[in-house]
Amino acid sequence: MKIMVCIKQVPHQDARLDVNGAGNWIAEDNIKFEINQYDQHALEAALALKDKDATTEVVVVSVGPERVTQSLRTALGMGADRAVHVKDAAADGSDALGTAKILAAIGKAESPDMIFAGFMADDGNFAAVGPMLATLMGVPHTTTAVSFAKENGTVRVERELEGGALEVVELTPPCLVTTQTGMNQVRYASLKGIMAAKKKPIDVKSVADLGLAGQVGEAAAKVKVEKLYTPAKGQGAEMLSGSVDEVVGKLVAKIKELGLL
Amino acid sequence: MGSILLVAEIQKGKVRESSYELVTFARKIGAATGRDVKSLVFGQGAQAHAEELAKKGGGEVYLADDAALANYNLDAAFAAVKAAVAAAGADIVLLSNTPTGWDLAPRIGAALDAAFVPDCFNVEVEGSELVFFRRFFNGKLDSRLRPTALPIVATMQPGATAAFEGTADGKVTPLAVSIPACGTKFIETKVAEAKGVDLTKADIIVSGGRSLGGPEKFQEVIKPLADALGGAMGASRPVVDAGWLPHEYQVGSSGQVVAPKLYVACGISGAIQHLVGMKTSNFIIAINKDADAPIFEVANIGVVGDLFEVVPKLTAAVKTAKG
Ligand SMILES: Cc1cc2nc3c(=O)[nH]c(=O)nc-3n(C[C@H](O)[C@H](O)[C@H](O)COP(=O)(O)OP(=O)(O)OC[C@H]3O[C@@H](n4cnc5c(N)ncnc54)[C@H](O)[C@@H]3O)c2cc1C
Ligand SMILES: Nc1ncnc2c1ncn2[C@@H]1O[C@H](COP(=O)(O)O)[C@@H](O)[C@H]1O
Repeated sequence: MKIMVCIKQVPHQDARLDVNGAGNWIAEDNIKFEINQYDQHALEAALALKDKDATTEVVVVSVGPERVTQSLRTALGMGADRAVHVKDAAADGSDALGTAKILAAIGKAESPDMIFAGFMADDGNFAAVGPMLATLMGVPHTTTAVSFAKENGTVRVERELEGGALEVVELTPPCLVTTQTGMNQVRYASLKGIMAAKKKPIDVKSVADLGLAGQVGEAAAKVKVEKLYTPAKGQGAEMLSGSVDEVVGKLVAKIKELGLL
Repeated sequence: MGSILLVAEIQKGKVRESSYELVTFARKIGAATGRDVKSLVFGQGAQAHAEELAKKGGGEVYLADDAALANYNLDAAFAAVKAAVAAAGADIVLLSNTPTGWDLAPRIGAALDAAFVPDCFNVEVEGSELVFFRRFFNGKLDSRLRPTALPIVATMQPGATAAFEGTADGKVTPLAVSIPACGTKFIETKVAEAKGVDLTKADIIVSGGRSLGGPEKFQEVIKPLADALGGAMGASRPVVDAGWLPHEYQVGSSGQVVAPKLYVACGISGAIQHLVGMKTSNFIIAINKDADAPIFEVANIGVVGDLFEVVPKLTAAVKTAKG
């Protein structure tokens, strides 16, 4: 069985985010990046299948700049077999559909039995690329999986709804499943895994290699990010200032005033 | 000129409130761009729902009524939307960002080769163009997005605007949909089990987030404040994902929706999925070391500081005040 896992590298969860000079993205210098949380669960789901059947091949795919190499090495260190890295300035500024087109070109060449993607990337929060990729590949999908089982040629997923409710769905592979956080406990790359990863291949591709020149990237994007800005504080928000003791005093006074002390 | 098609949802035997919010957005776009508002209702035995929506602003409501649509099924719902888009001649399609919307909308977006703008909290009309407003980075930044081509497929955040409450003349048009062989199959829905703790009954909730760093910190830092105030503990999702606390403590869209007299958020950034679970609390105190954290958008009082310093001191002060 071959499994494709889509991973995006995003700013580290604790990175301080500032808007860039152009006002339409964040300033990327001096911040750390990591594999998107949701995608870590996607990779773990694939590796768990490989644990059960060693003949399974796990291919991680990412579209992004040079810095992404490090995340792909991490994924290989965790146990993925090989990586495909679409590294091309011509892919920069793609909208979700553009990214899905790039991933679909790779998906068609690889023809995996199973595809995992994260439910959403923690940068743009579009939650779109997974289902769009499935659509372009003509395979069924489901979203926000919190459990996954493959049995007798079908895939059984519990997808999360609102308020803790779940929906059980069966899919016929090949299919695509997007993973929700908490679905599994993500493994760490072992030292041995990291050493082994150095010999594993990362196949670098350009947009032209995929036959998509002119069809993706900023110029082809149908959605333009015009502006990114810090949200306004709420109308009623009173920001307390002073020493910690002063602040605490004001909080206690307020709680008293509310009649709760 | 194309039309606007809104995809309504039936939930718990009713047209979902968020579908009437889509009516509000659709009418705003329609009035400014000269487009007709049309709707789709899909399900089984949904005639009455379609009639209700037609009377309450949905315009011409296409009704796809089929046993295959009784429960949510991706392929069947997708076929219904495609048929409705064609019948309506729609070039703007609106859905709600709900479990159905986030599963279905990107598939429609890709199939129509559309400009796709998900999870928006507002839309404005500028001349003949639309601009959408949505969050990036889990609410740490807001954005303004412009689709540069039609068709547009957008999903709107539930609760982002008031539901349309007026009446308007509409009609129900039956829609024939040929349902394809489905690659996905609905098996069942499981509701969350009731557990020991019922946060919705608490008057005071002290919640902690990922920044607590481990389960013991909840016992050391969050629980003492909750106890001193006579309240309950709550948590953001990563806390529950990591197994520090059971799911019944989770506040947010996939946990509990609470509205206590006092909600104290400690080291919680304020992602929208958390905010929808607590923003109607009577009074909100937020403690966060990042002055730009989105939790301050809904807080009544904000403290920019280290929770490990502020919370224990607050606990001590509360105890002193209680005597
Ligand atoms: C479909 C879906 C459903 C979801 N459902 C829910 C849900 O029900 N509930 C929920 O909570 N989330 C939910 N989420 C996840 C949500 O998007 C966020 O990822 C989550 O709420 C973030 O939790 P957090 O605030 O604890 O962590 P983070 O966003 O990582 O924030 C940590 C915060 O701690 C602050 N901080 C760090 N150290 C300190 C310190 N020493 N003192 C003070 N402040 C500090 C930081 O400044 C930061 O603001 C859902 C997501 C999806 C996609
Ligand atoms: N540049 C990318 N490279 C690889 N996978 C991606 C990329 N962008 C998005 N994805 C995948 O699609 C998911 C959803 O992303 P998004 O639609 O941007 O929220 C992510 O969690 C990844 O699994």
